[in-house]
Amino acid sequence: MLRAAAVAALVVLAFFLPRLLGGTSVVYSTLTTIAIFAVMCYGVDVVLSYLGEVSLGHTLFWAIGGYTAANLSVKYGLNGWSTAFATIVLSIAAAAFLGAVTLRTREFVFSLVTYAAAVVAYEIAFNWEAIGGSDGIVGISALKLPFGVATYTGATQEELWPIAFALLLATLAFIERFRRSKLGTTALMVQMNPPLAASLGVDPRKVRLAVFVISAPITGLAGWLYAYQRAYVGPDMFETYFLVMMLTAVVLVGRRVLIGPLIGTAILIVQQNLLSLGGDWNKIILGSVLALVLIFWPAGLIGLFRRFVKSNA
Amino acid sequence: MNIAQQIVNGLVLGSGYACIALGWTILLGVARLVNFAHGQLYMLGAFATWYAITKLGMPYPVAILAAIVALAVLGALMQVTMMGLVMTQNLTSLMIVTLGLGYVLQGGSALIFGGNPQTLPGTLSRAKVDLGSLWFTWQDVLVLVATLVLYGAVWLFTQRTRFGSVIRAVAEDPKLAELFGINARIVYLLVFVFECSVVALGAALVAPRSPILTSMGFNEVIMTFVVVVLGGIGSIGGALVAGLGLGLFIAFFGAFVAQAYTTAAAFAVLLALLVVRPAGLAAK
Repeated sequence: MLRAAAVAALVVLAFFLPRLLGGTSVVYSTLTTIAIFAVMCYGVDVVLSYLGEVSLGHTLFWAIGGYTAANLSVKYGLNGWSTAFATIVLSIAAAAFLGAVTLRTREFVFSLVTYAAAVVAYEIAFNWEAIGGSDGIVGISALKLPFGVATYTGATQEELWPIAFALLLATLAFIERFRRSKLGTTALMVQMNPPLAASLGVDPRKVRLAVFVISAPITGLAGWLYAYQRAYVGPDMFETYFLVMMLTAVVLVGRRVLIGPLIGTAILIVQQNLLSLGGDWNKIILGSVLALVLIFWPAGLIGLFRRFVKSNA
Repeated sequence: MNIAQQIVNGLVLGSGYACIALGWTILLGVARLVNFAHGQLYMLGAFATWYAITKLGMPYPVAILAAIVALAVLGALMQVTMMGLVMTQNLTSLMIVTLGLGYVLQGGSALIFGGNPQTLPGTLSRAKVDLGSLWFTWQDVLVLVATLVLYGAVWLFTQRTRFGSVIRAVAEDPKLAELFGINARIVYLLVFVFECSVVALGAALVAPRSPILTSMGFNEVIMTFVVVVLGGIGSIGGALVAGLGLGLFIAFFGAFVAQAYTTAAAFAVLLALLVVRPAGLAAK
């Protein structure tokens, strides 16, 4: 009861955070970006933290979301609900295909194939004029979400914030449910104790497929909202930056921590937006953080904090 | 004779794929390690060669040696940093760490070498050979010969020398190998240094064919995956055949279907193969 009240209070506080930080359009845009990127990272989090395998193909789902939103809204004038639904269907289909193809292979082949899929999808998106080609699609109109008679329009950063916030909350609720679901606990067992899983008749490869498939629409929906936020999509959605960002945000704070990827994303975005040292230096920082955390503090910042508390107790 | 020319082009492309993939084959097959910085190491090898030729005034053969040494040192540094993960065979973390290091290399190279495309002067890629209606360059001949020699040497080394069996013992079980007095750390270090130097050599030979950019490396890495998986993971002969076969396929696909989608075509081959023979073509 007390816990539920505390969570509710935190959610309300988080919702008004942009206003508390001054309510300028820069604040709204930074926090909206953090919310969108955090949702993007949660897709990878599901696979990496609970399954213990590496998907290097989530930029593909991210781009599927963006390209679906852009193409369907610009060419067919569809509203936000329809484009979101199409994003979910298409990203699940893509994940099911990649997962099924690698079903019988070893785990690192799965990572190779997901990585290659994203690079190849980039080549296709870059060359295929019908979906935007190398120029991408510009001038995506404002996100429109009809509720019965009224329609919510997200034209400015300030209007997009409630949508990004709702998407983030829904994602957190989904991850929390997943952690306690049968699939979530089975995935964790496959990762932590493979002999036990095998003795219970669990096929780790089928678990991998199921977890991969449910992770895809999470990152997909983040890409969907990102398209409306930028009003543009292009082949740059496949950049390694997004992949490295997703992995770093998950490992930075610590795997299997519910709000870990959110805090990780916030730290990284604040560095890139407010304390930027220029594109190339930001690459060096992001890549080094990813490598160094995994080499020296595999348990992330949470692990460091716990060690610190323990040694002082 | 367009077909004959495409066969020549295919052999030229394929020997390049095989040459770049050799280090990865050894690393994955013999030491069971995965390196996602491979594409960026290729890029760095090309730029190291370019830097040695244009800024330090070295002739091409010396520049190749300089690039090999530079990447060997870099590889040793990378491997020493990752040694903890390597010894515990933490493949999940290793894949992510090498990806992160690749990203650092990309950012660092853009800072050092700038964002403009460059060409490698002083190589043999301008020296054309015309044989009737066929044409290729002396650089292509050099790549093909060097690839065949390298594969032969590596095959002899891993199959016929004591050190080759030591490497395979470490790959099977590093802890057990240590009980027999083998220093697994040194073996892993040497294998990784070998991977980096051979990719530098591959880059120095193959990269002069086209302009080089610090953002390149992705296509090379995909072709390397396809070659390694197609050839049967860790099979040296398999990788050579797969490289040449893939080159022929890409040459014909590019000439008769679509030049823009060659990487996608190679990937489609890989997917089809994974469904039919998940362990690769060379597997029994």
